[in-house]
Parts: sequence; structure tokens; C-alpha cells
Amino acid sequence: MTAVDRAVYDALRARRVTRRMSDRAVDPETVGLVVRAAKFAPNAGNRRLQPVVAVTNGTKLRLLRLISPGMIPVPQAAVVISIDVGRAASYGFPPRAPGLYVDVGTVAATLLTAAQAAGLGACPVTSFSRAAAGRILNLPETVQPHMIICLGYPDPTGGPPPMPKP
Amino acid sequence: MTVDASIGSHNPIVSEAAAIEVLAYLITAARAQMDEAAEYAPMRLITAAQKLGGHMVPKASRPVQELLRALDTFAPTATPRADRDEYLAQLDGLCVVLADCLLALTGPVTSE
Repeated sequence: MTAVDRAVYDALRARRVTRRMSDRAVDPETVGLVVRAAKFAPNAGNRRLQPVVAVTNGTKLRLLRLISPGMIPVPQAAVVISIDVGRAASYGFPPRAPGLYVDVGTVAATLLTAAQAAGLGACPVTSFSRAAAGRILNLPETVQPHMIICLGYPDPTGGPPPMPKP
Repeated sequence: MTVDASIGSHNPIVSEAAAIEVLAYLITAARAQMDEAAEYAPMRLITAAQKLGGHMVPKASRPVQELLRALDTFAPTATPRADRDEYLAQLDGLCVVLADCLLALTGPVTSE
């Protein structure tokens, strides 16, 4: 029988996307713990071309939500995963090289797991205006946001039903 | 841009803050839709309607309140994927409630 680290495996099984979050504040130290986990994500060539930015400012969070049609929760914090296309080009990557986007996914998976470890709910969002998000976050033009991970404590009263299974 | 003077009250019903929220959603949803599944399109439109409706509730007339209640029965993640026929029926039902609302706001319609 295959030896399994039950704690790790059960954590994977138990994780859920949190689409309804409470208004309980998330302290910056906890957000920092989640963000620091990004550097442990598997990453092609260890080039780290996917910078992550934590957003804890209430005004910026509200603005991000306004330009994110896919953001269902009202988060207390967020982490934005981008691709640094400037640095990617310096390595010779074409602008839409699939590997750059794959590594957005590996960072996202790692952040989601870290959030779970910190007792936070999390919800990935890709339906948002990248152009507007870049402006709100004052990102350089060569840094393009591709995913927002909403963070917050799950609302104990529940949330909308999960998306239907394919 | 003109408003049909025969339907509903002309008193302001939403604030600029509420209107800009809905406007921002519609504009960014148009862009996001270019990169996401086509089945999300009706979901985005219904969500925009729910956002606008949510801001209208405090000042809405009774017929509009009934429409907004029907609008709120849509789950925020509902798409046509799971059961297209059911989804269509729900949308058609909402359109009927909308028609009732418009008729109520217009007043009695004389037969031609």
C-alpha cells in the first residue's frame, strides 16, 4: 500500500473555494505568511517571472472588486499574481509562452494551500480587467496581472452553491 | 439619450456611486468576456442587473420591487451549463415578470 502523508492529503481534499467571506479583518502578518509561500512554488528555471503583490488597503480592494466581474466574495485582502513580461522577454520568452501562464497556476496553487494553512478562505479570480488592475495597483507596464487570489475568513453562514461539475 | 416618459417615476433612484459601480462592472465584464467561456455572458448580464437592482431597492415602486425579488432568485454562479432548459425557463420567467412590471408602471393598456 502506498504510504500517504494523511495530513497533507486530507488538507488537499478539504480545501474549498470560499465565495462568501466574513468582514473579520485579516492581519497583515497572516497575509505576509501567505505571500511568502509564493517563493516555494514550482517554477520553470527558478526564474520567478510571476511577481505577487499583496493588497490590504481597503480602498484598493474596493476598486479591484469594481473592475473584477468574476470577484464574488468581498475579500479582506488579496494577492495579485502577475507576469513580468519585460523580464520574460530578457530570457527570450515569446509574449504568450505557455510556460509563463503555467507558472501563474503553480504560484496560485501554492498560495491557496498557504491560505488554507493559515486558516483563511481563498478564491481565485481571473475575470477582471488586467489594464484597470495594473493602473489601480500602479504596476509597471511590463508587469501584467493575471490572477487575483481573494483572502478572508469564510462566512460561517455559508455561501452560494459551488459551480456545477463538468 | 431619451427616457420613455410613459414608464415609471422620473425621480432619481440610484446615486452616482451606485451607478458607477454598475458601469464599471459592465465595462470590465465586456473585456473579461473576450477571454472567458461564452456561457458566462448571461451570468454577467444578470449579475449586472442584480447589482443595479440592489441599489434600486430602497426607492423602487411596488411593481419594481416584485421584479427585483424575482431577479434575486438567480444564484450568482448560475450558468446554462448544468441544465440549459431549466436556465432558459428561469430567464423566460424573469422576462415575464419584467413585462408585468412594465405593464404595471405604464398603467392600463387600451386594446387596439
